[in-house]
Amino acid sequence: MKRILTGGLAALAVFALPALADTAAEPSQSWTPTTFHLDNGMQVVVIPDHRAPVVTHMVWYKVGAVDEAPGKSGIAHLFEHVMFQQTDTLAPGEFDSIVSRNGGQSNAFTSWDYTAYFERVAKEQLGTMMELEADRMVNLVIDDDPEGAFISERDVVKEERRQRIDNNPGVILQEQVLSELWKGHPYEITVIGNMDEVAALTPEDGLNFYHEYYSPENAILVVAGDVSEDEVRTLAEATYGQIVPTGTAHGQRKWRDVPLLTEDDLIVHADPKVRQPVWSRYYNGVSQIRTPHEAYALEVGLEVLGGGMTSRLYQSLVEQQQLAISVSSYAWSDLHDPGPAVISASPAPGVSMDELETAVMAEVELALEEGFTQAEVVRARNKLAATAIYSRDSQSTMANVFGSTLAIGGTIEDVLSYPDEVRAITPDEAIAAVRKIFGPDRHFIEAQLLPSEEGN
Amino acid sequence: MRLMTFAAGLFAATSLSACASLNPPPAEPETIVEVEVVEEPAPLEVAVHSGDFAEIQQFTTPGGASVWLVSEPSIPILSLNMAWKGGEASDPEGLEGLTDAVTYHMNEGAGDLDSLGFQTRMEDLNMSFGCSASNNWTSCSASMLTDNADDAMALIATAFEDPRFDEGPFERFRREQQVGLKTRETSAGYLAWKAQSQALYPDHPYARTKTDESIAALTPELAKEQMRKLMVKDRLLVTAVGAVTPEELAPMIDEVIADLPETSTLPETPDIVLPELEPADPIVVDLPQPQSLVQFTGPGLKRDDPDFFPAFVLNYSYGGGGFESRLMKVLRIEKGLTYGIYTSLSPGEHIQTWSGGGQTKNESAGEFIQGIKNEMEDLVEHGVTEEELADAKAYLTGSYPLGFDSNAKIASQMMGVRQDELGIDYFDLRNDKVRAVTLEDVNRVAKEYLNPEDYLFVAVGQPEGISVEEFESEDPAEMESESED
Repeated sequence: MKRILTGGLAALAVFALPALADTAAEPSQSWTPTTFHLDNGMQVVVIPDHRAPVVTHMVWYKVGAVDEAPGKSGIAHLFEHVMFQQTDTLAPGEFDSIVSRNGGQSNAFTSWDYTAYFERVAKEQLGTMMELEADRMVNLVIDDDPEGAFISERDVVKEERRQRIDNNPGVILQEQVLSELWKGHPYEITVIGNMDEVAALTPEDGLNFYHEYYSPENAILVVAGDVSEDEVRTLAEATYGQIVPTGTAHGQRKWRDVPLLTEDDLIVHADPKVRQPVWSRYYNGVSQIRTPHEAYALEVGLEVLGGGMTSRLYQSLVEQQQLAISVSSYAWSDLHDPGPAVISASPAPGVSMDELETAVMAEVELALEEGFTQAEVVRARNKLAATAIYSRDSQSTMANVFGSTLAIGGTIEDVLSYPDEVRAITPDEAIAAVRKIFGPDRHFIEAQLLPSEEGN
Repeated sequence: MRLMTFAAGLFAATSLSACASLNPPPAEPETIVEVEVVEEPAPLEVAVHSGDFAEIQQFTTPGGASVWLVSEPSIPILSLNMAWKGGEASDPEGLEGLTDAVTYHMNEGAGDLDSLGFQTRMEDLNMSFGCSASNNWTSCSASMLTDNADDAMALIATAFEDPRFDEGPFERFRREQQVGLKTRETSAGYLAWKAQSQALYPDHPYARTKTDESIAALTPELAKEQMRKLMVKDRLLVTAVGAVTPEELAPMIDEVIADLPETSTLPETPDIVLPELEPADPIVVDLPQPQSLVQFTGPGLKRDDPDFFPAFVLNYSYGGGGFESRLMKVLRIEKGLTYGIYTSLSPGEHIQTWSGGGQTKNESAGEFIQGIKNEMEDLVEHGVTEEELADAKAYLTGSYPLGFDSNAKIASQMMGVRQDELGIDYFDLRNDKVRAVTLEDVNRVAKEYLNPEDYLFVAVGQPEGISVEEFESEDPAEMESESED
């Protein structure tokens, strides 16, 4: 079986899926997520799913790359790695051993907006997992030995950066483009950090970061699976509930408006490894958390425009004119602050970047002028809403959707109401949202990924 | 992310579920439930196997399809898998890509619906349906909402009855394939696979790949003929999980398969015996990037080999256990040389390998390869400890339920068991087979299988610190191998 590497810059925020949720077609009422707070301020979310005797246990910290100090890029992500090292009670590597010996799987991930840790285990092991996570929330030991675990983990992260980004010309280009699009905003540096800054991070940086952000009042516990709210409450109070808040988690984030681009820009990356060129335009987009209705309208509109094989762009560019191998439009709207709205295409053999751009933008202009039909919009919004039902099949997906939404300031109700909100988008709203993003007063960054001379 | 799961390149890791048994005989059904079916003279005979992880309902539809179903009413979704033995390896020489052309077109139009019509209908029904192929299998899967499962299955039926293979989508398939042939020239995973298959089994169908010529030679007619050879009634396996009963599902499946040919003959795939390797340096394929991809391949075991389970348990300790494996502990945790390294067993029907891989900066490639060999040698010489064995068993048995927590996972687990003919009680027996493995078994298997000299090493990148075996790439001049020391 052949598999294709699809890693990318966005993979760091790999679980930041669009918020998805339940819909009206509901044969059973057993699925009702609930939330409460422990006395120390830690929020708890319980998502019952009784199909298998398994639970997904997650701790979300409201800290991410957005919170890093100048010159310390990559500390949130490197620190995520360091959290698996030593505590007062656990030797290096013991955390992993205990989880594995209990038949569990664990991992963690970092985004601009949050850092999350999870274990998937048989339900009997839930208490043990809570003990482990609670322990490292307060008892982490960071060795200042220059040859110690912090340093070797820093080397691992440098390899991770090479593997995810530096090996991949398309991801190198995307990193450059996002840095330009978010210039002046804390998102401008990639989550994994600049290589030079990562290489200079110290154990002391790690400890400072830990003391500032890791505390129960800055964390959200999400448990999905074969449990009840009462079971979770009892276990959580006995573990996390015993932790005294540090008082240092100030809760201030550097989130702010993303300034609109003030001029068009072109970024070209040519690489000997590139065999197939890619053309993209990045526009200022929107954020679901800041302007939900506008974000949903844009999602529906971009689904009609370039969301799949039935979309306007695909049918025109790939099927009819045969100028492109692929074409798509999508909005990156699940960060706290607005991410880009992107139109992207890859040329058919013999088609130049200019020809491709002209043809793609002509089709976009045509759509903006004509507007969308009722049938197109109904299909797009049903498709988005139905994805919510399918996502219910995966316990981890559900835990991720609720955890990420809450970590950036949303609510359970935001997740639950998503399908109805999307279904309420009218054709007028969908086209208006698309017209605003791609309007004549808006600027963009054009990105071209090209083969380099010596590579072809 | 702390550890990327190994989906990169050609890292085809064996899933925990897909391990072998010792050819268990099919279990006797525990209960037989006979249910009256409206409009059908004969009731559907359903054998119910109440296993530890799922209650599997086993039945043959009146139309002749053999089905394993888990009824799961809690979410309104039906996941359906269909598979036929026979896949890409059956492509005639010179027509590589033919089976891929078949699977590509199965949702590209049927009956009155052209490609756009078919895709639009799927969107209207909020369903998905698509097919794919591996060397040995052709598979289709579908997800649908139970509310409109009748309509969804009726659409799928048209794809099997009257697929169109229109010229438009076929031209698009060719264009996409041409781009794929170009982009694989700089794919580290593809280049590693290519070097390895050329070195180990150059004349076998598994080593053949699509070319510009083979893609140009494909036609819609050839693909249609191949479809009728691949998708036949007597090789069809079906698994399903969802909010349906056997009585609801059987007529839908019969509608889907109504027009399939009864049977067909496909070319036999010969077995591969891995060659004895000469003492050799790693094969190096030059690729301009900061990291080298290292892959290594040696002899493995069949699923019905009595040593398969000892090898499976040993693999966890060697390189299969995430952060708990020796390779991860030494090469990532101690030395910081890599973001990840894995090993896996591939107990295929025609080729059995034990393989692994990881990536490291070019400067440390030599040290990385030496580290892999050192750990092999240590296992051959000293074996694993009692504690390592106990840890491996604890993880492998304790984590098994995690593969059963979604409808899609259960449907695919059942298909794996059916494809490998492991028996309907496999899920229940598997953990006992893991527990039965002894230290003596494991250490004997280590001595037999983990000798570094039996392993072929390939490094793709610009690796330093190793002397290299010349490798002539099929690809353009800049891909040629080079020697460094």
